[in-house]
Amino acid sequence: MADTVNKTLDPQLDRRGFLKGCTMAAAALGLSDAMIPKLVEAAATAERPRVIWLHFQECTGCTESLLRASHPDLARLILDIISLDYHETIMAAAGHQAEHNLQETVNNHPFILVVEGAIPTKDGGIYCKIAGKTAMDILAEVAPKASAIIAIGTCAAFGGVQAASPNPTGAVGVQDLVSGKPIINIPGCPPNPIAFLGTVLHYLTFKRLPALDSLNRPLFAYGRRIHDHCERRAHFDEGRFVEQYGDEFHKLGYCLYKVGCKGPETFNSCPAVRFNDVDVWPVSVGHGCVGCSEPNFWDTMTPFYERLPMVKIPGAGIVDNADKIGKTVLGATAAAVGIHAAVGIGKRIITGKKSEE
Amino acid sequence: MATYEKHHAWSILLRLFHWMFALSIVFLVVTGFYINNPWTNTMIEGSASFPMATMRFMHYIAAYTFSAAVAIRLFLYIFGNAQERVWDILPISGRNLNNLKMTLLNYSYISDEHDSRLGHNIMAGTSYLITFVIALTMILSGFFMLYPEATFWQGWGVKVFGSQQSARFIHHILMWWFMIFPVIHIYLCIWNDCKGPEGLISSIFTGVKFKHKA
Repeated sequence: MADTVNKTLDPQLDRRGFLKGCTMAAAALGLSDAMIPKLVEAAATAERPRVIWLHFQECTGCTESLLRASHPDLARLILDIISLDYHETIMAAAGHQAEHNLQETVNNHPFILVVEGAIPTKDGGIYCKIAGKTAMDILAEVAPKASAIIAIGTCAAFGGVQAASPNPTGAVGVQDLVSGKPIINIPGCPPNPIAFLGTVLHYLTFKRLPALDSLNRPLFAYGRRIHDHCERRAHFDEGRFVEQYGDEFHKLGYCLYKVGCKGPETFNSCPAVRFNDVDVWPVSVGHGCVGCSEPNFWDTMTPFYERLPMVKIPGAGIVDNADKIGKTVLGATAAAVGIHAAVGIGKRIITGKKSEE
Repeated sequence: MATYEKHHAWSILLRLFHWMFALSIVFLVVTGFYINNPWTNTMIEGSASFPMATMRFMHYIAAYTFSAAVAIRLFLYIFGNAQERVWDILPISGRNLNNLKMTLLNYSYISDEHDSRLGHNIMAGTSYLITFVIALTMILSGFFMLYPEATFWQGWGVKVFGSQQSARFIHHILMWWFMIFPVIHIYLCIWNDCKGPEGLISSIFTGVKFKHKA
């Protein structure tokens, strides 16, 4: 029988909040309401899966967004359905005791590994060290023993801002270093906590990971394109655009396409699930999507207020808008054609030769 | 007065390909520019006008025409007549490399000699082959963007392009080839037509070229 009256979980998490959290996760996963009791049962079970949460090159924003969710029950639910054996931000242990806990879990128990942050690989990985060990060594030690790996945030999934060109520390995501383990990417800067909760609950309920897309992102959260579910989509189709931030059209809430919104090339659940339980997400408050859940978004989605990245011609030192370069090349081609024709005409005048008849 | 005789050079399918390709490119480039950076703003709500939706619709119809044209060309590269097959224009055989050299010399006014062929000269043929490969890339990136949530296109697209945004970027940059190429193509057709009266321009309508009677 599920412990829905909550005798073993956090006393501050009441039954209502507990069921609400499970229902939200079920909705995010696209499960029928008939599945909610199963989810509740899985979440309330006494055997809480052990989780090791490793922080590498990151800003802790993913953890922060999880813990500071306006809906306190959500964070509490996540922290209560799992046994968080090692998490540098919130664990009580420190120093050798903390490292001992890590070793104890890694060596003696099955666990789920959550990685937050990219892993620098250049110069032997010296750019990120914890307890005297490089991030690469820690991951190589812990990852092979994990039953599944969840890479939370764009850094752990694809390298994130650390991996942006020229990537001075050689930062990479977990999937570039670990193979032979189920890896699930929950990218975003930060990702929606619901995506994380949904993945964990899915794993607990069905004992397997949810269906993934070709970038190993769970389809329930990253299966749809933002643009196709955006509340401003009608303005796009009818050609009503914000021309610049703060103009009259911006005040009227028109489409942000022309000021560089990357909704058309980004997969995420933001327009449907939204953030912080107050029904907001970037586009709803008037800022275009920056494409934070896509690989290499710091390189391909910038400039954030333009549609396309700049063209870089190495060697020539040219960094410019694709259309400006295109127009220059087209102009040069037309000029070359003109010169070619002029030479032909000139030659004919000089030699006095007619075309063959 | 030299005597000319008619030679059948281009099949109806090749001529169909050419005009499908040319017309769809005109539509694709114009609507593509609109989609990338819409130059209109409807401003009024409830105007019952759908410029972006209409432009995209036209873009997709033209894109399917373009794809069909490329499929026809692929068929002709393998099963077409002697002038249309890819072996006739690949700059790999000695005969073709010699034609490429002579064409380059002739086009740069260095030599007056002309290695005349019923089909494409190798310079033209190679540039068409490059255009064909670029067209394939446009189709692949285009369908990847059109069906972003379809497993088939997502699987291929992510492997080849990395992300939607990268595909869009490549799609946009390669589009410029389809603006630069016609400038050279049309110029050289006129240039050739002025130099030798083989009926080069009319051959893409009639399929017939004129050659000196041996």
